[in-house]
Amino acid sequence: MGADLVLALLDAANFVLAIILVAMGLMVVFGMMRIINMAHGELFLLGAYALLVVQGLGGSFWLALVLGPLVVGLVGLLLEVLVIRHLYGRVLDSILATWGLSLLIRQTVILWFGPQSRVVAAPFDLRLDILGQPFPAYRLFIMGVSLAVILFCFWLFHRTRLGLAARATIADRATAEAMGIDSRGLDRLTFAFGAALAGLAGVVMAPLLSVDPQMGLGFLIPAFLAILTGGAGELMGVVTGGVVVGGSQSLVARVASPAVAELVVLGLAILVIRLLPNGLVGQFRRRR
Amino acid sequence: MSRKRLVQGLVWLGLTLLPLFIGEWQTLQLAQFLTYGLFAMSLALAWGRLGLLSFGHALFFGLGAYAMALATMGRLPGLEAFPSSWLGLALACLVPWATAQLLGFFLFHGRGLRGAYFGITMLALAVLAERLTQGTAWLGGLNGLIGVPPLALGLDGGGPALLDPLPTYWVMLGVAFAVFLGLEMLLASSRGLAMTAVRENEDRLGFLGYDVAAIKRHGFALSAAIAGLAGALFASQFGFVSPKLIGFGLSAEVLIWTALGGREMLLAAFFGALLLSWTETVLAGLLGAYWLLALAALLVLSVLFFERGFVAGILTLLSRGRRPGRR
Repeated sequence: MGADLVLALLDAANFVLAIILVAMGLMVVFGMMRIINMAHGELFLLGAYALLVVQGLGGSFWLALVLGPLVVGLVGLLLEVLVIRHLYGRVLDSILATWGLSLLIRQTVILWFGPQSRVVAAPFDLRLDILGQPFPAYRLFIMGVSLAVILFCFWLFHRTRLGLAARATIADRATAEAMGIDSRGLDRLTFAFGAALAGLAGVVMAPLLSVDPQMGLGFLIPAFLAILTGGAGELMGVVTGGVVVGGSQSLVARVASPAVAELVVLGLAILVIRLLPNGLVGQFRRRR
Repeated sequence: MSRKRLVQGLVWLGLTLLPLFIGEWQTLQLAQFLTYGLFAMSLALAWGRLGLLSFGHALFFGLGAYAMALATMGRLPGLEAFPSSWLGLALACLVPWATAQLLGFFLFHGRGLRGAYFGITMLALAVLAERLTQGTAWLGGLNGLIGVPPLALGLDGGGPALLDPLPTYWVMLGVAFAVFLGLEMLLASSRGLAMTAVRENEDRLGFLGYDVAAIKRHGFALSAAIAGLAGALFASQFGFVSPKLIGFGLSAEVLIWTALGGREMLLAAFFGALLLSWTETVLAGLLGAYWLLALAALLVLSVLFFERGFVAGILTLLSRGRRPGRR
């Protein structure tokens, strides 16, 4: 019984951290730029395919771990320059256009790699013994990466000059520009950073999933729900939302079925949004 | 104003006469696309008028299609012996309408859910509905329900059925035209004006004393009922309903049709859906996967540079006459 409980909690923690890992880039882009990036799932997808290509060419997982975020970050930079910069301040249009981009990326992947699903190998196939139950070490690795990303984002946005400049730009664009902050450069950088985070998540998560062109959508929805319930606009929100959404989905799926779990989570998210429109975190913070 | 009516009339007249010049098979296909057109109109009402960008509108189309299938195939508990098309049509409007009303209570009232959040919630709902449908044996599971009978005139499912291409086409066109007229009248009324005002500036409308949430809820429910009707008509023609009708894929398509056609003009959305599905069947063999790629690229371009939609642009140009500057 004790071992079961520990495993259930470990599973939940694993799922929670995976969702936060995916949602982080989404949150950075939304929180900093007010752009709802529906193509985030497809940037995640590109990360996974980057790993596929690197492994196909004989490269190692660790090489992909470096190259994947770089490539996807560059794609993000390109998207910002070509499309996203026209969309600032047009929230509804931003979802529509990024959603068009997501279709565009997905179709390109289908044309390039075919619609079938593929398997990529994890860098190590170790199983740890946890209270007499085997648990894949790679999952612990993912949890570690997610924690590192969370800490890095907090550090970047709250402890560096760059983060300060980025936050100043959201708070008051005109004043920030008057202070000599290059707001356009920050836009480009922020979007590329968000994309790179998606790419990183894609590389790291790919060995656990079947890599196919539809995989982006499956993670986009829980990531969005996490942001909505947690409260859009701050880093703490995505962490809280990830815990609520991921935790409840994982635990309900264990006692009932995955479909029921999704229904429960969606209902829960709607309820939270209805009762606390600013999200769980935003509600308890006196601001604005 | 009168020139606009003339252009609209010519479009409908052209559509009425069209099947006289094409083959039977194409007529049947177009009759199916007319239901897509109806579906696109319903989205144009919700999105173009009320500003409710619904990323999961196929939820209502699918609910309508399944309601029709269950009713006419005698799968409704207690009503097995009464497989009436009329009952199917009524349920296909009523079930999505009630669902949308319920959703509206949750999503629009109170502090409410705006713009993007609403869109994503709808997307999640449609994806979830698709998954639930796949897992429910009563609804045919992954395979769907095969053998939905065509529309029958008799109250109990008997009587003459709608099978031949020409009558089917004209009945579908008639329904679409009736819905179009009804919606145009609604939108021209003060109620319709209030709906447009929601899109333009819902805060200001609220300050003027209008109940914005109620306007949204009723408009959304009307849109859902029309989408359900479209789904029912589609199911009765196609003879087959599957989880695909309720989920992400169709939601995506209807959004593209409406965006490229013109979200703020019912006729443009309708015609856009017709035109794009038609082009798709013609070019599908030729272009394959490139078709969706091209559509996606067009969607991005139209959002950036031509928000009103392409068909709407052409229709407006035609209605305006040669000298756009002077009127």
